[in-house]
Amino acid sequence: MIRYMIKNNLKLMLRNKWVIGAIALSPILVIAILSSAFQGLMKSYEGVDEFHAGYRVETDMMQDSMEQIKEAGKEAGIIFEEYPEGDVKTLMGNNNLAGFVEMGEETYTVYVSADYAVEGMTLTYFMNQVMEEGCNQALHQMLPTMQQEEIELPIEQLDYMPAINSTDYYGIVYIVYFCWCGIASAIGVLASEKKNGIDRKYQVSAISNVKLYLGKWIPIVFVNMIEMGIAIAVSVVLLDIHWGNPWMSTVLMGLTIMGSVAFGLMLYYISRNLVVTIIVLFISVFVMGFFGGCFETYMFSTVSDAIKNASPIYHVNRALVEYSCMGQSTYTNSSVLYMLIIIGICSAITIIVDGIRKRGRV
Amino acid sequence: MSDIILSTKDLTKKYQNKVVVDSLNLEIKKGEIFGLLGPNGAGKSTTMNMICSIVKPTAGSIELLGKNPWKRKKEVIHKIGYIPQDLAIHGNLKAWENVELFTSLYGIKGTALKKTIDESLEYVGLLDKKNEFAKNFSGGMKRRLNIACAIGHQPDLLIFDEPTVGIDPQSRNFILEKIKESNEKGATVIYTSHYMEEVEAICTRIAIMDNGKIIACGTSEELKKLVTNGSDNITLEEVFLTLTGKNLRDYTGQA
Ligand SMILES: Nc1ncnc2c1ncn2[C@@H]1O[C@H](COP(=O)(O)OP(=O)(O)OP(=O)(O)O)[C@@H](O)[C@H]1O
Ligand SMILES: [Mg+2]
Repeated sequence: MIRYMIKNNLKLMLRNKWVIGAIALSPILVIAILSSAFQGLMKSYEGVDEFHAGYRVETDMMQDSMEQIKEAGKEAGIIFEEYPEGDVKTLMGNNNLAGFVEMGEETYTVYVSADYAVEGMTLTYFMNQVMEEGCNQALHQMLPTMQQEEIELPIEQLDYMPAINSTDYYGIVYIVYFCWCGIASAIGVLASEKKNGIDRKYQVSAISNVKLYLGKWIPIVFVNMIEMGIAIAVSVVLLDIHWGNPWMSTVLMGLTIMGSVAFGLMLYYISRNLVVTIIVLFISVFVMGFFGGCFETYMFSTVSDAIKNASPIYHVNRALVEYSCMGQSTYTNSSVLYMLIIIGICSAITIIVDGIRKRGRV
Repeated sequence: MSDIILSTKDLTKKYQNKVVVDSLNLEIKKGEIFGLLGPNGAGKSTTMNMICSIVKPTAGSIELLGKNPWKRKKEVIHKIGYIPQDLAIHGNLKAWENVELFTSLYGIKGTALKKTIDESLEYVGLLDKKNEFAKNFSGGMKRRLNIACAIGHQPDLLIFDEPTVGIDPQSRNFILEKIKESNEKGATVIYTSHYMEEVEAICTRIAIMDNGKIIACGTSEELKKLVTNGSDNITLEEVFLTLTGKNLRDYTGQA
């Protein structure tokens, strides 16, 4: 009966109180320490009040869209002013514009001023997002007429992601980051099993490899949920971090924990060595986090979208951060899918590797 | 069905080029207490591990109750109670929790499991210590708990791999008595050791193993005769040393 194994593995983990405490509180510690540094990292967002940007539309058919963009801009604190004539550079200098957008038929150009670096980034990001959104909406509604010359973007409502506060951003992102190190809380079980040769006893029983795996995976996931629950609660109470959409945030955090434990167990079953597992885990989490917005906010990252999209952490981070500031996210599906795939593949590999090792045990 | 509970045929284990168990042929009958005697590194633990489907044999075959435990593990493995030489207990679990964990692997649950836990602990004289952590136990108590963890599912074949290493005469005596008791209740026992007097005291048949081979097998009388042609003032220890030689053995293996 797997339930007794789960129960006793849970006890083994929970009796390692310092490990559990350290893991639950380390994200908080990191967030608190970095909290002041965040302000600097995020000044791109926070330092910006309202600012002015010029624009020019080259064809009339973009005029409607521009009206929409202006509306969305207001929300984001960007005031668009039309300048149909004149040299962009001079206009920007004379009118104190932080940036300028030139809307062509197929392309658009964003000019930014060196004096307004932060505003420039905000404007670039804003235009990026707005055009992407516009194209998406245009594509699935207007696909048949795509080839025609007159492409009018039937943009109903442009969403612009409201500015997220730096503490919220890094608070959420670092809790996700630490989630990925969840296998560390299983040290109590894994080390004791290895030291005492418990595996041999399991082998002299009829228990299947799948049950043996679940007998570890389930309690480790459970302990991680407790730890991350504590981390999230403390993050809300002490650091005032806002999590949006409690339902989806919980589901996503839960799936992330399940995926990270499956990933960690897979590394352990392959290497059969806790130190190797932890090192490989930290390296891969660092890489995923590096491209996933853990060290540089994904809004302003220089990393290409293709690479960002390859990082599971990116999808989860983005979804959670968007929940926090908008209550919803287009990254929900991709992050859920990513986690389900990780859980499935890593679990399967673990069970297969374990089976092979036992059959050919040297 | 025959009364052979376990047999091995040309059972062999090689590590790299080193032959650790060499074409072993054993036949153990139901109801026996079979002693496997050998110096350090003889290959006793390796043999037991192959029988318990922990270590894969390089060659040869095993039949446990007429079935190959490597091919039909699910059907026969629960017939074995394996007491490993190296203690296999979680220090951070209490005595009863250890027994619960390992007994539950055989599908025992609920009240039956509770009852079995108490019986197993009672059997090894640890019932009054059931709520203590295994890490706080003395060496002898740990050895006894190690036994309690392997008997709850009432196996037909008990495999004791040096269960008396490093414990005092009282504990040793207790364990030997318990093994006899189990045997009287119907369990077949394989007992490995390098202590002659233990083996002589409880075993109905003894095999002496050295360098992966059985070099002699029989009752203690038969073994003594082998060396002395009948004179009876020889101990089994002298038989052992005569047969296996007096050189120091491989101490790099599991001690
Ligand atoms: N995994 C392994 N890899 C290589 N050699 C091994 C391995 N396991 C055991 N051996 C070798 O096999 C030989 C037999 O070991 P085994 O543990 O079976 O001896 P033993 O008779 O149980 O000895 P002891 O009385 O010391 O327990 C030893 O020489 C040991 O070094
Ligand atoms: Mg041994």
